[in-house]
Amino acid sequence: MSVLEMRDISYSYEKSRKILTAVNAVFETGKMYAILGPSGSGKTTLLSLLGGLDTPQKGEILFDGEDISEHGLEYHRRNHVSLIFQNYNLIDYMTPVENVRLTAKQNAMSMLKSLGLTEDEAKRNVLKLSGGQQQRVAIARTLVSDAPIILADEPTGNLDEDTAAEITEVLKNCAHQMNKCVIIVTHSNELAKQVDTVFRLKKGKLQQS
Amino acid sequence: MGTVKRAFLYVTRKKGKSILLFFVLLIMATFVLSGLSIEKASQEEQKSLRQSLGGFFTISPEYSGKNPYYKLMDDGDGGYTLHTERPLTQEVIDAAAKIDGIEKYDALTPTLVSTNLEVFPGNVPMKDKYNDLVYARTVSGTENNSYFESGTMKLIEGSHITPERSNTAVISKDLAEKNNLKLGDTISLRSAATEADVNVKVTGIYEILKPDSPLKNIITYDKIENQIFIDFNTFQKLMKDMPAGFMTATFTVDDPARLDDIIAEVKNISSVDWRAYAVTADNSAYLEAAAPLEKLQTLVTSMILVIALVSAVILALILTMWGRTRIHETGIFLSLGIRKTKIIGQYLLEVLMIAVIAFSLSYFTSNAVANQLASGLLQQNVSVNEEQQNQDIQAEIKDGYGDDIVYEIKDDNTTPSEQENLQGIESSDIGTSSNVKEISVTVSLFNMLQLYLIGFAIITLSVVVSSGTVMRLKPREILSKMS
Repeated sequence: MSVLEMRDISYSYEKSRKILTAVNAVFETGKMYAILGPSGSGKTTLLSLLGGLDTPQKGEILFDGEDISEHGLEYHRRNHVSLIFQNYNLIDYMTPVENVRLTAKQNAMSMLKSLGLTEDEAKRNVLKLSGGQQQRVAIARTLVSDAPIILADEPTGNLDEDTAAEITEVLKNCAHQMNKCVIIVTHSNELAKQVDTVFRLKKGKLQQS
Repeated sequence: MGTVKRAFLYVTRKKGKSILLFFVLLIMATFVLSGLSIEKASQEEQKSLRQSLGGFFTISPEYSGKNPYYKLMDDGDGGYTLHTERPLTQEVIDAAAKIDGIEKYDALTPTLVSTNLEVFPGNVPMKDKYNDLVYARTVSGTENNSYFESGTMKLIEGSHITPERSNTAVISKDLAEKNNLKLGDTISLRSAATEADVNVKVTGIYEILKPDSPLKNIITYDKIENQIFIDFNTFQKLMKDMPAGFMTATFTVDDPARLDDIIAEVKNISSVDWRAYAVTADNSAYLEAAAPLEKLQTLVTSMILVIALVSAVILALILTMWGRTRIHETGIFLSLGIRKTKIIGQYLLEVLMIAVIAFSLSYFTSNAVANQLASGLLQQNVSVNEEQQNQDIQAEIKDGYGDDIVYEIKDDNTTPSEQENLQGIESSDIGTSSNVKEISVTVSLFNMLQLYLIGFAIITLSVVVSSGTVMRLKPREILSKMS
């Protein structure tokens, strides 16, 4: 079922430098997507537009058939999407459990435990955790929110192979077991092999492969 | 997680920043609170000065061409006497005394009389006809008379003269003893001007508490023991057909700051033709004494403004600097869909939480600082004021008004009548700036409230200004800066 749709999206930094040109794509719940492309191809820009962090110059982004600008991008970010970043983006003066509670009060501890953190780890300073643990905290934060879409920007970029595989598995579960729409921006072909649908971004055009 | 919880976590986990901010706010609050307390203390001190010194104005017949009722009369002795057809009567005084803000009045007129009494001779040789004369001092009442109010004389027997009295006199204990007089005895007075005879009853006897110096050169009628106080009705009889009135009436107002308004009200009394009278204000005692306090208040007001402005700038700079290190955090909050207003609210709450503690503690630091600061500033103003007064006196002497100055300061050598004329000057002496060299400053609850209001306004302004730069950016721009 289509949850997010891009219609004729164009974006450029300056008039001469076009990043995205008439991009069209449809994303469904219960599926995991990967957007592949070389550095500077506009992957992160595309993710920012989907996440309501920026607005396209042309075209529209629809959530459940409704333009996301109707209720405002803040509303879209708060209710429709959850973002995961390569550098985890955790609040350094909060514990893991407090970071998770930024999006929802309920189930923070149980979510962290289900992602492999002990209660002790969940209550210590977030910066004292390993990279993998920090990414789990970031994922837990997205999972406790009711947002049906998870947008992840290079979620395994800073992780070793084993941890990257574990995180990929968690994200797969999010899509297939929790029925979320997971869109991952990456340049990792290994990660791309794990997803249901792969898009390639080339010269501003998005193509399904 | 709510805004308050996030703010609380930041304040308690980022201890270094919180402590630094606490001290900045404590210093700021101490100076603002000290300033506010000094300003309040200065206002209260001025109020108390106003109440203690009072202000004066006098009403007297207008002895100039402005008075259409004044006449020069040939006294048949080669000289002229000045008369006004509209003398200063008790009715005029009563009309003025009804004005709100007038505390009391003292009306008087001295007239030379001969008596059947043996008087105390002076040590200045005079023509024979003056040697037996004494002053009959017509007063509206003895109680408010400057001799009695200043403690020079004290009524020890009988009662005070009041405006309703007729044919009554109050004499000195010395004069009474010298002439074997007691309450109820009669003495006769003859006016030196009209030669009218009037008998008066002794209804009061006063004791002299501040006698004349034996070294003082003094005329018989000026000797303090010889002063006889009489009522206005007696004076009218002594004047016979001549229009009788008081020479001057001095009114004391309860608040010198309102002196001009009260005088304006007095001059508006329609039943009195004010062309016949001169009204002269004298709140110099208050102005002189309050000058250092007024300067202090101006200085402190400026100080508060400067401190508030500097505090706002310093706080905005600190918060802007810290805000830049919090771009990452701001971006995360925005990406989580937290509203910009809630993010600014969190930053504001963080500073306010620290401010509440700092402002509350500044109560103690301000109490310690304010008194020292106030004393130092006041002392400085007093010195400047005294220096200015000295320079003014020097300038007046150079300008040829030196005689007046000598007259003012030769207090011990002046005659009682001169002293009466100098009543205002004596009052001025009471209120010299040297009286206000110390000021007691205490921090009140009202000052604390003012501090909280000013402080919170400065903090809000600083937080909004410092957050403005980051908040104007799109979330994506913030996230780009982060990465």
